[in-house]
Amino acid sequence: MSSTLTEVRRPAAATVTAADRRRKPLRKARTFYLFVAPWLLGFIGLTVFPLGYAFWLSLTDSDGLSPRTHFVGFENYVEIFHDPLTLSSLAKTGLFALVTVPLSILAGLLLAVMLNQPIRGRGLLRALIYLPAVVPPVGAALTFRLIFDRDAGAANGILSGLGANPITWLVDPNVRYVLYALVLWGCGGAMIISLAGLQDIPRELLEAAQVDGASYWQSFTRIIVPLLSPVILFQVINGVIASLQSFAPLLLSSGSLSGAGTVPQGNYLYMIHVFAQYFSASRFGYASAMLWMLFAAILLVTLVIIKVSARTVFYTVEPEGKK
Amino acid sequence: MTTPTPGLSRRRFLALTGAAAGGAFAVGCSPASSTNTPAAAAGTSSSAKGAVTVMSQSGEFGPKEAKAASQALGLTVKTVEYDLTKLTAMLASGNPPDVVRGMGATDTAYLAAREVAVDLDPYFAKSTLIKADDIDPVNDLWRFDGQKQGAGPRYGFAKDYSQDAMLWYNSALFDAAKVPHPNSAEPLSFDELLDLGRRLTKRQGAKVSAYGLNANGLSLFVTLCGMTASAGGKVLADDLASVDLTSPEALRAITWYLDYAKAGIGPTVLNPDPNGWDGPTFQAGRMAIATDGYWFGGLFGGDAKNAKLAHLLPAPQFGTGTRISPCYGATGLWMPKAGKNKDAAWAVMEWFLAGDPAKARAAGGWGIPPLKSLQKLMPQTQPFQKEAYQVQQAEQKYFSVMTFTPYVRLDAIDAIVGRELPKAIKGTTSAAQFADTLTTQINAQLADGKKRLR
Repeated sequence: MSSTLTEVRRPAAATVTAADRRRKPLRKARTFYLFVAPWLLGFIGLTVFPLGYAFWLSLTDSDGLSPRTHFVGFENYVEIFHDPLTLSSLAKTGLFALVTVPLSILAGLLLAVMLNQPIRGRGLLRALIYLPAVVPPVGAALTFRLIFDRDAGAANGILSGLGANPITWLVDPNVRYVLYALVLWGCGGAMIISLAGLQDIPRELLEAAQVDGASYWQSFTRIIVPLLSPVILFQVINGVIASLQSFAPLLLSSGSLSGAGTVPQGNYLYMIHVFAQYFSASRFGYASAMLWMLFAAILLVTLVIIKVSARTVFYTVEPEGKK
Repeated sequence: MTTPTPGLSRRRFLALTGAAAGGAFAVGCSPASSTNTPAAAAGTSSSAKGAVTVMSQSGEFGPKEAKAASQALGLTVKTVEYDLTKLTAMLASGNPPDVVRGMGATDTAYLAAREVAVDLDPYFAKSTLIKADDIDPVNDLWRFDGQKQGAGPRYGFAKDYSQDAMLWYNSALFDAAKVPHPNSAEPLSFDELLDLGRRLTKRQGAKVSAYGLNANGLSLFVTLCGMTASAGGKVLADDLASVDLTSPEALRAITWYLDYAKAGIGPTVLNPDPNGWDGPTFQAGRMAIATDGYWFGGLFGGDAKNAKLAHLLPAPQFGTGTRISPCYGATGLWMPKAGKNKDAAWAVMEWFLAGDPAKARAAGGWGIPPLKSLQKLMPQTQPFQKEAYQVQQAEQKYFSVMTFTPYVRLDAIDAIVGRELPKAIKGTTSAAQFADTLTTQINAQLADGKKRLR
């Protein structure tokens, strides 16, 4: 009797398991998309739609004001490749990203490693170093303008005290270095992210390396950096995107978003040119085309970084989707 | 742990959408455009009731003035700080403020040609506060007939005006440098002015502790146009579609400015004034001569220290026999066509431009009132005010205006000047090359603007 019951139950149990197995991925996917739905809806409403609208604008000669707008096809896109100012601003932006992204990440990592040591007052030091990262960019830029003013700034005050001649910091070519300093000033953000990554590294691994006779440098390069590589990748992608869209030179030069025309040529980055095209030249069509090109460039750069990172980034936990 | 989802993994999905969001953020920040015809339906609101939004500078029409307007007119008046970026975005999205600050001299043609501003003639016709025969001719800067400024419908009205190439000097800095005070009855020549600037500049080592002169004025391009006119030439062609900065007269103006900039005696694009404008620098005794019109005297009415030191001078000249003293601003208010509450907006404009605030501005010395009947209120109680009034009255004979192009914004031209100027100041390019480059680049902008207005 009992064996009969068992025989009856077994196929039923087997059917439920098979259905579960089929439904599980669907349920997981549904849950995933349900969770991301609010963001997705916002993305469609606030990003995809404006993106489409900007694309349409990029095919016109709109000045944003006049009712007389003409369809010009891809004329604006063609102009981008012939506009020396656009091309030079793009090159400057690339250089800006190449310099500031690695510098910020390295500075943040260095500070994180130092402040991960058991030193006195490290909580205070962490807070002090992180503080500039929470200062609003406009405030930071205005402060830098005051510090680096030629005649009344503290930087030249110190130089004068040392008997050196004052430097005109806020114009070409020196303004570029002030901009780099301004970006590096906020490296506390990178430090916090790296610090979180460092604290996630299992202590046993480092102790085992120590027992095996590894030096600190060996532990750093063979254990810490590989284990931090996903965190570094995150910072690289975000840093590149942020630097390609940077408005910092504008704030540094004029303290407001209306002064795109006053930015020195050394700091005349791509987004400053976009802003000048929109709000000084009123060339909404051309500026929209420039933004679409930037969008494409960001996508391309991000894809390249992700592709390259597949060989250099080490995950302690296999990322989902990878067999 | 793996997920048997084929194709796009979640990690990849998040990475790509993150990248897309980053890029799209850049594209998405483009303001929406009103390529549609502005909603200018007649009779949108016929009663002077409801809410009015005024975009102006807080020092001119701020919350205090909004509150006074609300009480005086029975309306809800709100203010938005003037910002060209914000204004452009608001206009482009078809949701502009009801009343906007603007510079009649340089904004009118641009706004009118793009059909953005309301033709105010019907409002002026029925105004109880502003009568046609009481309107100062300076307000013609707010008129444009499609071809030229000064004729056609009125698109705005000045709140006050000045002859903006005039000079203010700080007598304490003259005394400290043992330089005799200039004669306020006669204009300085530009050469004399440059010489004064050099002698009055105070240096501490290689640093400038007090500027001798600020020659920039409201905008370098319009300043150069004014100087060219003083030299007997003109920059903008009659059809307003091209400029020529390579003429001998324009070159004379450019060469003078480059001499000023190279001398390091005042703010330039290479050594900007950290205060951003002349007021605080002059009041702090760090600027001997400032290029500002009569309105600048409003700063000293309540500043006893500077009231004893500040003096107004006529606009400098090149001495070619053509004495001019231009108005570059005629700053005032206009109404966007897409504004939602035009009757109420006009009520606010009328109150601010001809009502009690206008009287207060006139009495405070903040520029010359745009209504003749208010000009008798210009202050003469303090000695500096009396002196400034007399100098201003004498200067009025040489009043002139300069037509501006409808094809580009002044900001766009100033951006070109600002971009090319550093090379000329540093000597990388000559004055002639600088003039040539400016002419080419500005003309390209004008041609593009003209093409888009077809």
